[in-house]
This record gives sequence, C-alpha cells and structure tokens, in this order.
Amino acid sequence: MSSNLYHNRKAQWAAYAVVFVIIALVPFIFDNPFVINQIARYTVFAILAVSVSLVWGYGGILSLGQGLGFGIAAYGMGMTMQMQFQNPETDPIPSFMLTNELTELPLMWQPFWSTPVGLILTLAVPTAIFLGIGILMFQARVAGVFIAIMTLAILAAWYSMAYDMQPFTAGFNGISPPLPFQFMGYSIDPYGAPAFWICVAFLVLLTAAAKLLMHSKFGMVVQAIRDDAERARFLGYNVAYYQVLLFTISGFIAACAGLCYVMVVQYVSPTSLELSLSISAVIWAAVGGRLSLMGAIIGAFLVNGIQSYLGDELQQVGMIMLGGIFIAVVLFLPRGLVGLAEKLLSPREGAKSLNGEAV
Amino acid sequence: MSVNDFWTPFELYPFLNALFIGLSLASIWLVAALGLTIIYGTMGVINMAHGEFIMLGAFSTYVFQTHLGVPFVLCLPLSFIVVAIFGWAIERVLIRNLYNRPLDTLLATWGLSLILIQVVRLVFGTSPLYVAVPEWLDFQVDFLILHLSGLRLFIMIIAVGLVALTWYLLYRTTWGIRVRAVMQDKEMAASFGINTDRVYSLTFAYGAGLAGAAGGMFGALKTLFPDMGSGYIVEAFLVVVVGGIQLAGSGLSALILGELNSIFSYFTNDTFARFVLFSLIVIFLRFRPQGLLSEGMKRR
Repeated sequence: MSSNLYHNRKAQWAAYAVVFVIIALVPFIFDNPFVINQIARYTVFAILAVSVSLVWGYGGILSLGQGLGFGIAAYGMGMTMQMQFQNPETDPIPSFMLTNELTELPLMWQPFWSTPVGLILTLAVPTAIFLGIGILMFQARVAGVFIAIMTLAILAAWYSMAYDMQPFTAGFNGISPPLPFQFMGYSIDPYGAPAFWICVAFLVLLTAAAKLLMHSKFGMVVQAIRDDAERARFLGYNVAYYQVLLFTISGFIAACAGLCYVMVVQYVSPTSLELSLSISAVIWAAVGGRLSLMGAIIGAFLVNGIQSYLGDELQQVGMIMLGGIFIAVVLFLPRGLVGLAEKLLSPREGAKSLNGEAV
Repeated sequence: MSVNDFWTPFELYPFLNALFIGLSLASIWLVAALGLTIIYGTMGVINMAHGEFIMLGAFSTYVFQTHLGVPFVLCLPLSFIVVAIFGWAIERVLIRNLYNRPLDTLLATWGLSLILIQVVRLVFGTSPLYVAVPEWLDFQVDFLILHLSGLRLFIMIIAVGLVALTWYLLYRTTWGIRVRAVMQDKEMAASFGINTDRVYSLTFAYGAGLAGAAGGMFGALKTLFPDMGSGYIVEAFLVVVVGGIQLAGSGLSALILGELNSIFSYFTNDTFARFVLFSLIVIFLRFRPQGLLSEGMKRR
C-alpha cells in the first residue's frame, strides 16, 4: 500500500496544496472580473462536491438532497443581504413583499436585520435540518436506495415551498439583493478578488478539515460502516451515531457553499433547490472520483468548466455529451478520474485499498 | 396572506369533488408508477430515466397522431411498443452492465435522462406541442357533485386495465412465474434453468412500455415538453416505495397518496399539500421502510 504514491499522506497533502495554490492564483492570472466570478462559482460548486464526496464517497450514503443545505443557506444569505439594503425607518420591507401585499416584515425575516445573526442562521438552520433528517433516517437504519429516495422527496418538498411562498421568498423570480454583501464595513464586490478568495478560503478550510476528519478514528469508522455496516455494528460501533454526524457535517459544508454562492452571484432563486443541482453535484463527485475529496473538487471544476466553455451553439450538444460522459464514467471509471490516477501510480496491477466493488 | 385565504373551510359537495379529483390523481400516479414498480421490483434497478420514458411515450403518441393520423386509442399501444423496444435496447446496452451496482444504475440512468431530454429538444424544438383529445373523450361529467373530464375518466379506466393486465401477466402466465422466481432469488431461479438475462430484458421492456403508454395519456392531459418527465418521477418513486415495491402495494399507495394530496390541497393549496404529503411519506418510511404491503422478498 505504501508503495503507491497515491496512498502516501504527505504526497496527498502536497497535491492538495498545489491545487489550492493554483486556484488561489487565478485573480493574478486572469484580469477579467467575469472570469474571476465564474471561477469563484466553480469554487463554490467544488465545496458542494466535497460535501457529496464526504457523505457518499466516505460514508456510502447516496444523498440526493445535498442541494437542500445549499439552497436553504442560499436563501438565508439572500435574506441577509436583502436586509442590509433595507432601512428600519424609511424602507423596512423588501419591494417584492409590497407587490405581494405584505404590510409588515414577516417574523421569519425579522432576525435578518442583524448581519451576524443572519449569517449564523444561514449556516445553523440547514445544519439543524440535516441533523433532524439524519436522526430520522439513520435511527431507523434506512440505507441505500431508500436514502436517495427520501432525500429526493424532502428536497422536492422544500423546492415547491420556495417556489410557492411568493410573499416570503419572491417565488420563481427569486431574491436579488440590490447591494453586494457588506461585511465589517467592507463591500464585497462579487466580481472582485476578495470575494473569490473568501470562496477559496472556505474551500481550503473545509476540505482540510474534512480530510483530517477522515484520517481520524471517526473517519476510519465511517469508512468501515460504508464497507460493511452490519459488521461495524457487530463490532460495537453505534452506526447511526456516526452516520448522523457525518450527514450533519456534510449539510454544514453544503450550507457554506450556498452562503458563498449568493455572495458571488448576488441572487437566489428556487433553482438552487432544484433536483438537477443536487444530482449535478453527485455527477461532479462521481466524475472526479467520489472516494477522494480532491477528486470531487477536480470533478466540479472540470464539469462546470466544460459546460460553460462549450459556447452557446455547442451547449445543446453539450448536455448530450455530459450525459454520455457521465454514463461512461459510471460504466468504466466507477472511481472517477482520481481512481485512474491511483491505478497509474500503482506500481503493480491491482493494488486496491478498498474492494473493487463500489457501492 | 391571512389565515382565511390559506385555509378553506369544509363544505360537503366541494369536498366530495376533491375526493374524486384525488381518485383521478391517484390513477395518474399509478399509471406513472406501474412501470417503475415492475422494473424496480424485479430487477432492483432505479430507473431515473423513467420520467423520460413517459416523455418519449408522449412524443411518440404526438408523432403517430399528428404526422401519421393514427387515432388516439391506437396511439397508446403503439407508444407502448415503441418505448418498450427502446427500453429493451437500453437494457441490453446499459443496464445489463450494472446489475450488481443498484446505486450506479440510478446515476447512469440519470445520465441517460439528460441525453434523452436534449435529443428530443433538438428534434422537436422548444415550442410546446399538444396531443389532441379525441372527440369522443371531449366531454365533461357533471353528475350532482361530480365534475370530471372524460379524459380523466378514461385514464382511471385504463389505469385499472393496466393493473389488471400486469397482474394477469405476473400471476397467470409462465413468464410471470419466471419473473417472480427471479425476483425472489436470481441465482436459484437461474440454477433451475430460467434464463434470467432474458427475463430481465423483457421485464425492463415491459416496464418501459407501460411508461410509454402512460406518456401517451399524459400528453393528452398536459402540454408536451422535453423535460415533462421530471414532473412525474418523484411522485412515481414515492408511490412505488410507499407501496412496498409490488403491484397491489403500488395501487394502494397511489390511492392513499392521491387522496391525501387532494384532501390537503382542498384545505390549503397544491404546494403546501405537496410539502405536507412528502414530509408525511418520509416519516412513514422511517417507521415502515418496507412499505405498506411487503412480501418479505429478498431486498437487493
């Protein structure tokens, strides 16, 4: 095992450092604010892909609801930024509420007057929801496909709520805060380098924390549960406890992605709760290699990059290509591109840390 | 939004009509879920492209009706055949390689659905298309409290018919015996000389065909869009899972879910009803993951 460079922890950290430095240098390479903004979005998607990799690659829990954490946090951030624009004296109600005949600010929006409270809620609410869903599912030993379908149902339910509660969420149009995010006296321009670096900082910190966690005893148990939950249970581990905790952490990471996303796009709509976003995140992780956080990050950058650089004419064929690539990855590269790298770095044929059967 | 706008008080006749709407909704969900039940129940394949099979059925009905002048009633079996052949080919090329990886079938069929949506969009364009409702179905039942379009009534009858047909095939034919044997234990069935590959291809084709026929009817009910399938997939999966992944269970769960949805929407609104219903389903699955009815078969 140690003969493969891929499994060398120092080499892994070095690879992570190289990739992160390259990403962080983007504002120096490209002078174009639109490019910087675009790559900031990819960075945000990479954070979401990390949350998928954590829960699916390491935990073996295929959640189709990672977009729920992303979307709810996106709404929280959108509300926070909208309320930064409102004035308690002269203009206390966002304009879309007035057109929906609301005469006072709904209770749900009140805490967002304060930016720190708003930010805390933005991250705490999705995390708490993931904790609740996790307890509901894993205490009952729900597993495999059922988790996919249950998270799908929960996501669909929240999507329709965001869509329909027009007076509270601006419905289909979504909330577009008039001003960039203001924080500690600074205005964070979504097209500027600071916003980009905030996203990169989130990505680096969350990835490093997740990687350390997966190298810890907790991470080992989580992976043992993925490989054989029943055996882990017989060895005396409280499987549900580990799964709930992992699921909650992944929800928190997805929430961080949602927060950053609204910071760099200055807009939030029900599309962030759409099923296609959640499944896209799964695709990114799968293409890059879900068994590795770095794989998920590379997958997110690669797939999104391909998608946006195909151009308008090729865009239509692009979806077909994307579907084709995805099928090909599932069929021929179940461990993604990183799995390919692992194989290439392996000195002998068949050095595998896990049994080849990917679940 | 005041409480009075949100909450509709109880009145007998509108409420009874809501129950009939629920019945209609249940029949639609059941038709959408039937093919999924067969495919998932027999093969353990999570076919995320099922919604797109429905969409293909709707578009092939449109082609048969508008371009070839086939009467609507004949379009349905023709769509069944077209989509069944397509499903058969997909099983041969794609699904076959993934039998031991159920979660991966979910991902691969999602990729397939992306491709199907885009191909149909390229072929038919983005403007909405319609399947014409035939004249003999273009009537409205207004009987005391009951207000229902002829088409919805037709879908209810077809839903019952398709369930009966599927039941007959599964429980009264040799093919059905083979399918149920494979469902219970694939290896054992194979060792008794059943060609499991063949059973799988035919089952997948039949399930896809059911989606095709469903699509024909939904095309008449609503506008045709390349991504119309996504409107059915979540409900269809929930019907299947709540029912316990078997025929009678799907019928029962479609009935219960359709009625509950209709009752909740009567008192509140469609979206809130959906939210409450989905939340209830998640809680239900937490306590009874095996679904309403389960034969205690081997889970794969």
